[in-house]
Amino acid sequence: MESIRGKVAIIGVGMIPFGEHFEKSMEDMAQETYINCIKSVDKGIEPKKDIKAAWLGNLGRLFGAGAMSGSWLATQIGNTGIPITRIESGCPTGSDTLRHAIFGVASGMYDVVLALGAEKMREKPGTESLIALGTIGLGGHPSWTWGSTAPAMQAVYATRQMYELGYTMETFARVAVKNHHNGKLCPFAHYRYEVTIEDVLRSPMVCWPLHLLDCCPQTDGAAAVIVCRADLAKNYTDKPVYVLGTHVGLDHSFYWDKHNFIEMLATVRAANGAFDMAGIKREEVDFAEVHDCFTNTEVMNYEDIGFCKKGEGGPRLMEGYFDIDGPLPIQPSGGLKAHGHPIAATGISQICECFWQLREEAGDRQVKLKNGIALQHNVGGAGFGVSCVTITSRNP
Amino acid sequence: MTMPAPPSPVHWRLNPEVYRLIGMRCKDCGHITYPRRKVCPKCGSFNTENHKLSKKGTVHTYCINYVLPPEIEPPAPIAIVDLEGGGKFQGLFTEVAKPEDVKIGAKVELVLRKILTSRGIAMYGYKVRLVEEG
Ligand SMILES: [Zn+2]
Repeated sequence: MESIRGKVAIIGVGMIPFGEHFEKSMEDMAQETYINCIKSVDKGIEPKKDIKAAWLGNLGRLFGAGAMSGSWLATQIGNTGIPITRIESGCPTGSDTLRHAIFGVASGMYDVVLALGAEKMREKPGTESLIALGTIGLGGHPSWTWGSTAPAMQAVYATRQMYELGYTMETFARVAVKNHHNGKLCPFAHYRYEVTIEDVLRSPMVCWPLHLLDCCPQTDGAAAVIVCRADLAKNYTDKPVYVLGTHVGLDHSFYWDKHNFIEMLATVRAANGAFDMAGIKREEVDFAEVHDCFTNTEVMNYEDIGFCKKGEGGPRLMEGYFDIDGPLPIQPSGGLKAHGHPIAATGISQICECFWQLREEAGDRQVKLKNGIALQHNVGGAGFGVSCVTITSRNP
Repeated sequence: MTMPAPPSPVHWRLNPEVYRLIGMRCKDCGHITYPRRKVCPKCGSFNTENHKLSKKGTVHTYCINYVLPPEIEPPAPIAIVDLEGGGKFQGLFTEVAKPEDVKIGAKVELVLRKILTSRGIAMYGYKVRLVEEG
């Protein structure tokens, strides 16, 4: 696989605070995000002259508000003169949308492109969205979805993590404590309050062993990124953020074909591909934004991305290794748990956070940088069969 | 609400899978999966045959769901079962007195039960039942 290192940079990002935006339509959210993104470019950009293509992320159809094709975004940004493709790729929809934009530039086809993800999840009651997510895998399977919901799809992993690796409900709760602490510091986060381990364990059981406070909220949001040829980036900003590697990894969509329930092969493959492309070691990463749709998923991610061995994630978490002031901060933004998870906006918002952190513009939640390298990760889709990992750096 | 609709082509087409538990065995790599497939999902081989899943197995992992689609009453334990002779099955439990009785490694059997009613039609399928030891 050829590397894209040195070819692609990010020159601007924008988003809106995530939350329950009953007063805003998906169109409102996308337009505000687009305006924020264009205005974020330090030396300015002429969008209709400079932006030559765009990619739109949206899962949409499950939640009652969605875009059918790229023409929806063309209308929102007032530009029907460029090609725009809509991407749907499960929970990594946002990051996979950005990956296509990155390849659009890396291929030499376009100099400057836009990636925007938007999701309106609160148009439906929470329980309906939850069940809608659980039925994604129905396609052609006789019994996959009976009684299943999004939390149930993860809870079967959590049970096996407890059995095989000795993790407890307290281990998983510690993820919520850490991420809510960080979310409180982030002005874009949906939930801006602290929780304790006791709060998590006392919250209602959604799907044993996962409590309500082990689950990410259902959130409205949008986020956007402008991607540019690396050698042109300084025309737009003195502080571009460079893409070192991006890769999608897959596993089977149905649990009938899984090799085990303590590891997500999709994440392992996405991480291996992105690190190979970047040509860096795990130890060189300063901080990461990973997919904590449920608290146990985050612990699995530490191990599957390769930050530690299987079984070490829980103990390291409890020691504070992944805290915002620890050796490897994970989720300075608050993660999906506190920042929110508007599906197609999630991955792109994590890249926004990496951009701000790598430029040391993250305010109260700024992490310490050593190598100036960040990792972003999503995993999801039917049976957690798709993952995307993108590695960015302040140096080319 | 996006719910499985029994009076639909999908459910009619999958009749042998739903009622007779017909899955697939790969003659090249030995992988067993459900439902039937023409291409082995593990190795890509076309050399596959029908394989009737065993109705006996042990609980590999499980959860107990409290927030459920309509018609399924909480608490509802859901298991991933390792079947005797290979292959897995995922399904709802039936006849569980206490959810705490469900454990990893517990012996179970698959039994045909009504799952739910949709558009006035009863939808049947296999559920998982704990086997009394002894
Ligand atoms: Zn095979």
